[in-house]
Amino acid sequence: MAEFTNMRNIGISAHIDSGKTTLSERILYYCNRIHSIHEVRGKDGVGATMDSMELEKERGITIASAATNVTWKGVDINIIDTPGHVDFTIEVERSLRVLDGAILVLCSVGGVQSQSITVDRQMKRYNVPRVAFINKCDRTGADPFKVTSQLRDKLGHNAVMMQIPIGLEDRLEGVVDLITMKAVYFDGPSGDDVRYEEIPAELQDLAEEKREVMLDAISMFSDELMEAMLEGEISEEMIHEAVRIGTLSLDLTPVYMGSAYKNKGVQSLMDAVLKYLPNPTEVENIALDLDADEAEIKVSAGNEKKTVSLAFKLEDGQYGQLTYIRIYQGKIKKGDELYNTRSRKKFKVGRLIKMHASSMEDILEAGSGDIAALFGVDCASGDTFCHPSLNYSMTSMFVPNPVITLAIDPIDKKAADSMAKALNRFTKEDPTFRTYVDPESNQTIVQGMGELHLEVYIERMKREYGAEVETGQPQVAYREAISKRAEFNYTHKKQTGGSGQYARVAGFIEPNEEENYEFVNKIKGGSIPNEYIPSCDKGFQSAMVKGTLIGFPIVNVRASINDGQYHAVDSSDQAFQTASLNAFRDAYTRAKPIILEPIMKVNVEGPTEFQGNIFASINQRRGIIISSAEDGMFCTVEADVPLSEMFGYSTILRSLTQGKAEYTMEVNKYGKVPQSVSEELKKAYEDKRKAESSKK
Amino acid sequence: MIRAELNKRSPLRVFEKSIHGGLGKGNIGVIASRHGIGKTACLVHMATDKLFRDEHVIHISFSQNVNHVIAWYEDIFKEISTKRELEAAMDVHDNIIKNRVIMNFSQDNISVEQIIRSLKTMIEDGGFKADSIFFDGYKMTTVEHDAVERLKEFAKNMDVELWFSVSPVLDGVDFDEYGVPETLANIEDVVDVLIGMKYDGEEIVMTVVKDHGEANPSQMAIKLDPKTMLISRL
Repeated sequence: MAEFTNMRNIGISAHIDSGKTTLSERILYYCNRIHSIHEVRGKDGVGATMDSMELEKERGITIASAATNVTWKGVDINIIDTPGHVDFTIEVERSLRVLDGAILVLCSVGGVQSQSITVDRQMKRYNVPRVAFINKCDRTGADPFKVTSQLRDKLGHNAVMMQIPIGLEDRLEGVVDLITMKAVYFDGPSGDDVRYEEIPAELQDLAEEKREVMLDAISMFSDELMEAMLEGEISEEMIHEAVRIGTLSLDLTPVYMGSAYKNKGVQSLMDAVLKYLPNPTEVENIALDLDADEAEIKVSAGNEKKTVSLAFKLEDGQYGQLTYIRIYQGKIKKGDELYNTRSRKKFKVGRLIKMHASSMEDILEAGSGDIAALFGVDCASGDTFCHPSLNYSMTSMFVPNPVITLAIDPIDKKAADSMAKALNRFTKEDPTFRTYVDPESNQTIVQGMGELHLEVYIERMKREYGAEVETGQPQVAYREAISKRAEFNYTHKKQTGGSGQYARVAGFIEPNEEENYEFVNKIKGGSIPNEYIPSCDKGFQSAMVKGTLIGFPIVNVRASINDGQYHAVDSSDQAFQTASLNAFRDAYTRAKPIILEPIMKVNVEGPTEFQGNIFASINQRRGIIISSAEDGMFCTVEADVPLSEMFGYSTILRSLTQGKAEYTMEVNKYGKVPQSVSEELKKAYEDKRKAESSKK
Repeated sequence: MIRAELNKRSPLRVFEKSIHGGLGKGNIGVIASRHGIGKTACLVHMATDKLFRDEHVIHISFSQNVNHVIAWYEDIFKEISTKRELEAAMDVHDNIIKNRVIMNFSQDNISVEQIIRSLKTMIEDGGFKADSIFFDGYKMTTVEHDAVERLKEFAKNMDVELWFSVSPVLDGVDFDEYGVPETLANIEDVVDVLIGMKYDGEEIVMTVVKDHGEANPSQMAIKLDPKTMLISRL
């Protein structure tokens, strides 16, 4: 087991196509974990090593976070590769949970783009310190100075250049290190040989100027350095220490640069990871004590302590289910007994392994702060494994509700079996991906965060499980709600032989902004006996499962009961449930029900010349433009657009802008559907019901 | 208080009265002062007042990001709605926000053509029929006379009114007794309404320096309250 100070858990997080996978590949290569370099969309068809899934190879994107272990200058580094598309943010968020630090990769041409903003916001939420790497400095239009100022202005980072480039675009030769004031070149066919030289004369002035800027910025974090600056005796150690303090407190982002593709600058970045990103003892982690009303407990690295670990990623490997875990406290040994605090089951640790990009290594134990993987453990992503005497759960991660549904039909019996297997796996891996069988149509429904999110799972089903399915039209997850208060007074009476049924409930329902549902009991004098109060609550809840407008769940209701009646013989739990259900439905039509739809926060970015097309495309989609920002050749448009209007938008946007614009979206809120759309939806629901009843 | 009542009692009615019922479409209005007097607050309050009256507003800023502009609008809305105890404030908020677009130009030395082109795109392709456009911090004191003329032409063609907040770009500029920088003199003839803001040691005084061709400076019966950053009656 490595010493804590010799351990780093880092992520590489970035915008799609900023060269993150290529960078990961180079890091693996320089750390001697792989012996040759493959490109993401390489000619040799092998693909980069971190992209473990076929689909990712084909699309040139990274979907799943594979953890891989490397050693750089004697320090053990676990690298979590994170997905780049916003539709997979749950994966990003889950990875961020287990990271102690991150490399923020930016494209030197594209700069800070909308995805960088989303990912950055998530990193802030999880307090992840980061160093920035401005990649692709060999590309036409590369401008690391501009990207650094974007980091400051757009993301609000105190970004400080630690290097300046020697040449740019096709003349990129290396970098100048502003701490040692040396030029750094990366020689050899794969840039293995790092050569230090004097700074080229023409860059001397710029280097000195930028060093001053850097020293000014970091002197804030160290009195010692500030004093030394006054006396003119600055040591490299002092600078490192100040940068480290600033980085760890998230008050500073040191900026590195180069071109992973051209094998330039990667080694310097790795040195920065070692110097400035935290080791596991320097990060505070909180667990919830399930035995003490979820009281917060600090967990800290220490191999002698009782084990607390989090399963953050599941993968279906060749030999069964592989569970990636991060150990927060204590250690895990082969043969240990652990307790899964969600399923409340104990299990024995069988094979314990360390993952490298495409190979694995059996290990006997893993200590605090480390990332390892277990074989054959039945669990779900996000489960906490503890020492059997503890009942902790690592803070629950925010899991958004899915906003889109899709009906899927396996093409044959064999596909149906494989589909079931695949769905079982995916839902365990990804809490935002859900599935159920619609009792009415008997169809399998999958739910997720966006079109692409579902598309990827459909393709994975086909590729990894051989399950071919036919898909329906994606459906938006609408909600119903009421807009005014309505009273009810309903009597349920049935006397048809045998014991009768009798219950009367009275009260009102009203809109409730704060909660999805609240039940208020205002019964005085026992007009409904206490034993039947929960029956009323249940009855209301069952009425809310499906609204009568368009058959979607009802939200934001407070249901209060204030009167009622019972019968000594004929009243029952069932009678009160039925009465409440009908009372609710009766009042619902009078409470002016409305339809709500998910409104997405959409961020479109593209060249200014296409601004008109972008505006028009949002305008046509019932979108509201919130802002539009222009920065030279690029513009960013932020808008609120209903999800139902966003289907197929990526294709349309591509054709409108010659493929030069892209967009991201996330759920913003639920908003009222306009009258015309509401009428259409109601009519469609009506038609569907008629069709179904005529079938019967 | 309901929205209609709030509109009736708004201090902006006093403001409009002091300039013959308002700026009017096709015209240019300028609010000038030293830095840090509260022009942005003033502009945002004026824009919010228009929004309260169901008008469409474009706010233009020249900073690095739009978040602080949005924050200004949120603050001013909150101040107004709390002060006036506005009924169904959240609904009103959601309703009026639809009629506001913020456009940001972060590029240095952006040309007036580019701004006009983007605004036209927003109004025509974006389907956003703006009634007024507020330029926060446009470099009025250093632009060519011709550029302001073109903006005026644009205002006429598009049937919108344009409001600008202006502070001198350069240091060492003299100000007149109403708070207007002398460097504005170059383009004053194209400006229809000019309002100067000045801190007189006690409060921020607002003066109509020019009112639709009339240059007869008179103090307005409103001021900017430095505590709430709202325009209020004297």
